[in-house]
Amino acid sequence: MNAQQRSQLQAQIDKMDSVSTAPAILTPLLELLRLPSDQIKLEKVVELVSYDSSIAGQCLRLANSPLFGRRQTETVRAAVMALGLEKLRSMMFGLCMNGIIPRDKWVIAPEVFWRHSLGCALVTQRMAKKIEYPEPEKAYLAGLLHDLGFLVNSVLFTDKFRECLQTASEQHLSLHVVEEQILGFSHCETGGMLGEHWGLSKELVDAARCHHNVSLLPTAGPLACLVHLSDLLCRVRYLGYGYDEIMGVELDSDAAWQALVGTYPALESMDLVRFTIDIDGAMDQIVATVDSVFGRGIAAPAS
Amino acid sequence: MGDPTFLKIRDLIYRISGIYHAEEKLYLLVGRCGRRMTALGVASPAEYLEHLTTRGNRDAELRLLLNEITIGETYMFRHPAQLDALRNVILPQILQVKGLVSLKRLRFWCAGCSTGEEPYTLAMFLLEEKDKLLSGWTFDILATDLNDNSLETARAGIYGEYALRSTSEALRRKYFTDVGDKKLQANAIVKAPIRFDRVNLRDDSKMLFQKGIDIIFCCNVLIYFDLASKRRVVQHFYSNLLPGGYLFLGSAESLFQVDDSFRLVHFPGTTAYWKPTAAQASGGKK
Repeated sequence: MNAQQRSQLQAQIDKMDSVSTAPAILTPLLELLRLPSDQIKLEKVVELVSYDSSIAGQCLRLANSPLFGRRQTETVRAAVMALGLEKLRSMMFGLCMNGIIPRDKWVIAPEVFWRHSLGCALVTQRMAKKIEYPEPEKAYLAGLLHDLGFLVNSVLFTDKFRECLQTASEQHLSLHVVEEQILGFSHCETGGMLGEHWGLSKELVDAARCHHNVSLLPTAGPLACLVHLSDLLCRVRYLGYGYDEIMGVELDSDAAWQALVGTYPALESMDLVRFTIDIDGAMDQIVATVDSVFGRGIAAPAS
Repeated sequence: MGDPTFLKIRDLIYRISGIYHAEEKLYLLVGRCGRRMTALGVASPAEYLEHLTTRGNRDAELRLLLNEITIGETYMFRHPAQLDALRNVILPQILQVKGLVSLKRLRFWCAGCSTGEEPYTLAMFLLEEKDKLLSGWTFDILATDLNDNSLETARAGIYGEYALRSTSEALRRKYFTDVGDKKLQANAIVKAPIRFDRVNLRDDSKMLFQKGIDIIFCCNVLIYFDLASKRRVVQHFYSNLLPGGYLFLGSAESLFQVDDSFRLVHFPGTTAYWKPTAAQASGGKK
């Protein structure tokens, strides 16, 4: 992509807010996502949830679902407490993003996208903890936001992006490779641009921009490396983009792994098989949460 | 679940056998311990942990618990992800390397084949690929076990519904014959590529003898070995394999701190250990 194409693309992304409606709670929510769980104030969350009626309704619906013991939860506060902060903030973020993409523009099934994003958030956070990276919450956010470019490509390049996904799926290829061929850029670039437009930190923008670009990784910082590895791991544990990729991945020979080991030697003593089994265990929860947000198997709350 | 003792038991099992349970799946281990506790008449998890660690019968009890953990693992097509990895990545890669330099022949080894479900699965899979991926290639499967009774059952190849629960109707019709009593017997076509033999993996002289293997399956066998024996067997496997070959273990087994000659590769839904050729090793990724 040359400089002119890049600036045209950035202009389109900057105008995205008027094409679609970013919910008002997005910015405070991003702030909230940056904090460690124990520093989040319950009242603040209740306020945020109450601000948006569709999100408040979803919270009540989820808190009243069988997944949470089908309680008789009638207030936002009770729903927030029943769900717990971890699930809640993931869910809120997912709902916010759903607001950004108009229903007819989703090129990938939204639940597939959220399973991958939340899976990657969780894996990035867990890996960050394992290697003693000082800000595991930031790692969670980096994982959650790494595919922001999907939203951009879905909204701005709907037909071509659909063609990319179809080609990748039919030929069992990695999506970013096909995007480069068809669009001339991948969701990495557009995700980085949207991140900049939203005012995300450089580290988070880099993580979105470089998570497939191995050559940029060693200089892109530890978050980008963590996200790259987590993304690979999710894709080989059935939390990819809903199609079978043909791949064999040697995580501990990867450039991102090598770049991290120097600064975080704890990585070397990580049992990757054990880590993978741990991730598999947690994935069931992710799938259940996402499915419940998208209404699968959830009964409507008692009226 | 609540009792933290089960986490200690989980860690003990992992340390000794290499089999690991995620915390979210701990209920599986709790159930399995529960069955052993009932059999022993043990009331608390703490007391059961004593049976596994300090009592005189600990080795035997550990073995019985490992049997419980791996029970139900043996039916055909139990691990489709392994077969997908073979079809999509591993075999094309091996065919490419071997196609240039040697006879078009592949050798597989099911080490610890128990009652034969694994080698028959592999034979069906390979026979189905004979005119596609493996066109022009021949293959044989060495299936070994220590237990004569298991080998007897494997050679007979007679299976009931449990063993065949994931085997499609089409494959049943093609590779099995109805022998009554709701049982099917493997036919000559699927038996032909398999050679059953008794091999003790601890027997160095016999292990040294197995050469030129492309892919080894050794699922839930090494879990019963102590660390030193495990290392020895894995080192043998490494020399038994041709460069470019792969070793598959059980889905919850890890070779962490057992061996660092092999390279761990993640495929969709499964992992395998790889012995790269010199060119592949220097080239990094596959």
